[in-house]
Amino acid sequence: MSMGRIARFMGGMVAAVAALGLAASASAQEKKLKIGVVYDLTGPLAGGGSELQYIGAKIVLDQFTKTGVEGYKIEAIYADAQSKPDVAINEAVRLVEQEKVDMLLGFYSSAQCVPVAARVEQLKKFMWITTCISSAVLEGRNLKYVFRAQPSGSQFGLMTMDFINQNAKAKLGKEPKDLRVAIIHEDGAYGVDVSKGNEAGAKKAGFNVVLKEGYSATAPDLSALVTKLKRARPDVVFHTGYNPDITLLLRQAREQGLKFQALVGHGAGYGVYEKLKEGLGKDVNYFFNTDPISIWLTNEKTLDPKLPPEIKFVGEEFDKVKPGVAIRSAHVGMAASNTYLFLTDVLPRAIKKYGGIDSEALRKAALDTDIPEGGTMLGFGVKFEGEGQPMAGQNDRGFPVIIQYVDDKSYVVWPKSQAMREAVLPLPAGTTYSNK
Amino acid sequence: MESFLEIFDIYLLEAVVNGILLGGLLALLALGLNLIFGVIDVTWICYAELVMIGMYGMYFLVQYYGISYFLAAPVAIALVAILGALLHFLVIAPLLSGPPINQLLATGGVLFVLQSFATVAFGIDFRNLGIRLPVLAFAEMHFSYARLLAFGAALIGMVVVYLFMTRTYTGTAIRAIAQDRQIMALMGVDTKKIYLITSAVGGALAGLAACLLVLQYDVHPFVGLSFGPITFLICVLGGLGNFVGGFVAAFVFAEIISLGGLFSDLEWGYVLAFVFFIIMMFVRPGGLLARRQ
Repeated sequence: MSMGRIARFMGGMVAAVAALGLAASASAQEKKLKIGVVYDLTGPLAGGGSELQYIGAKIVLDQFTKTGVEGYKIEAIYADAQSKPDVAINEAVRLVEQEKVDMLLGFYSSAQCVPVAARVEQLKKFMWITTCISSAVLEGRNLKYVFRAQPSGSQFGLMTMDFINQNAKAKLGKEPKDLRVAIIHEDGAYGVDVSKGNEAGAKKAGFNVVLKEGYSATAPDLSALVTKLKRARPDVVFHTGYNPDITLLLRQAREQGLKFQALVGHGAGYGVYEKLKEGLGKDVNYFFNTDPISIWLTNEKTLDPKLPPEIKFVGEEFDKVKPGVAIRSAHVGMAASNTYLFLTDVLPRAIKKYGGIDSEALRKAALDTDIPEGGTMLGFGVKFEGEGQPMAGQNDRGFPVIIQYVDDKSYVVWPKSQAMREAVLPLPAGTTYSNK
Repeated sequence: MESFLEIFDIYLLEAVVNGILLGGLLALLALGLNLIFGVIDVTWICYAELVMIGMYGMYFLVQYYGISYFLAAPVAIALVAILGALLHFLVIAPLLSGPPINQLLATGGVLFVLQSFATVAFGIDFRNLGIRLPVLAFAEMHFSYARLLAFGAALIGMVVVYLFMTRTYTGTAIRAIAQDRQIMALMGVDTKKIYLITSAVGGALAGLAACLLVLQYDVHPFVGLSFGPITFLICVLGGLGNFVGGFVAAFVFAEIISLGGLFSDLEWGYVLAFVFFIIMMFVRPGGLLARRQ
């Protein structure tokens, strides 16, 4: 072989290797996971907690956009559901069909989640719900690609009834059968589901349910409902609502002289303390709220050691976005934790074990998730129900906690294992709604 | 018989009175919308959004600038009055000779513009004036002062508008134009000026409603959604442009909501009110107080 031919051969080899290398590099650069993120940034739900969820998810997504996951770039494309189910469906479909996202993440309102989950399932796209809690999203639907780490609405309702049941005799001085309870809820998928849990819990505890009623969250007047509550004379009011319906109900309750021993809320509007305080002033003192625990209230010692620095990071980033907030809402941590769970557990497994980010790989990776209690920022563990189970896609290990607002601070009061202090029950004499 | 009598308790009376107070609130809202329709023959679909802007005006004047509520109220009323006049000048006037559907769609467009403007300018937060009015207790019944104020304002507003329309030259001109838009211009009345005045008065009534609503409701860009449709229905039920009819319709509607909600689920109160509306549209399409044709 002549020197010229050898040189040409070597040159060709170098060029081929370089070309292959460049191609490989280009391919590596194109490894990207596009996530369609849907929350309500306008409309009544935005101020009711959805915007806070968006902030929590974005903090974590921005964090991983910088680092990527297992060689994949993360690109988030945000959409506004405008507090309307039809817009949520349209935006989800647009993100999948036009923006070509690989998966969807977010969703605050159960009224949106129920139809969107069905549509996304039809499109065979992976959907990671960070927030909406209604059982109707998953129950009996056997969805393959929809997953929710969040505890379900009926769990919320059951938990609060159990809390009052365990304290009825000692704190309220009544046998459960003598305790008069009222269950009030907004009439969307979320309120109805929580109220079902409430009803089941009340039946189990043997409470006397004196009123159970739903109302439209946009109703301009709730005075007739307050009058009925006065007539029913409940000891404890269990309420599920968004905002501003919560402030309207409680303002009219004050004006009409409704009295009770305790008020127990169930997330959503009750999770945004700043707004409750602004609308109700000092009356909000001693109200209970049920939600997944605020990540800033979890006991660090019970958590996986890698989580406390992340919690601190989310808190610092949130303070930059909304400085001077008295109580960081649990909403922020909920979305942050559930997004972090996906990006650090499900996604790496899908890439490493199942070879990619398609819906099938993500689904298999999610079904493999097996995190013990203390393994998420929200304190609970994660194990999803699989195909054929009643709530396929639901995390079986999720649980909410009950917090109480006392003098501009929130304390976990139930379950006992997480409690930071004893619950103040009943409402102290002299407070606006106290019947003492 | 005993169980039948059981429902006649103090709570029933409270519900009746609360229905009357809610009626006052709705009547106040319907007053301005009726005025505009009666004279200009245009329905401001965006009427509740003008109320929303007025509520924001009150919020910022009281909370940010520390102006007392009673000083802020006239400013907010003037602000919405100007907005009403502007709405007529910029949107309605150019379309007055066009088909009515164009005016309806245009004010529908303004509704979305105002909602979006409020979202961009004021954010999505719910804002509260933070004024806690005392509660009026009577026997075992309790009533909202804010509602009583709204009720009183609706009554006074109704009387003032009535006197304005019947005892002043401008009012007479307004009524004359309402009867025949074309002929009054031939008789030397400046119809453009009258329209502008009417729009400003309609806006001022929206502003007055805003001043009273802000005492009871949180302000947010979509607060109009809670009141807009129901106000429109009341105006139609009373006969668009008929003040007294609108006033009566507001109380009928409110009582059905209040008592229906007391005896059944709250939502059934609204369903009954809407069923009543539909039936009345068949029985008296011209409105509750319209003469039979």
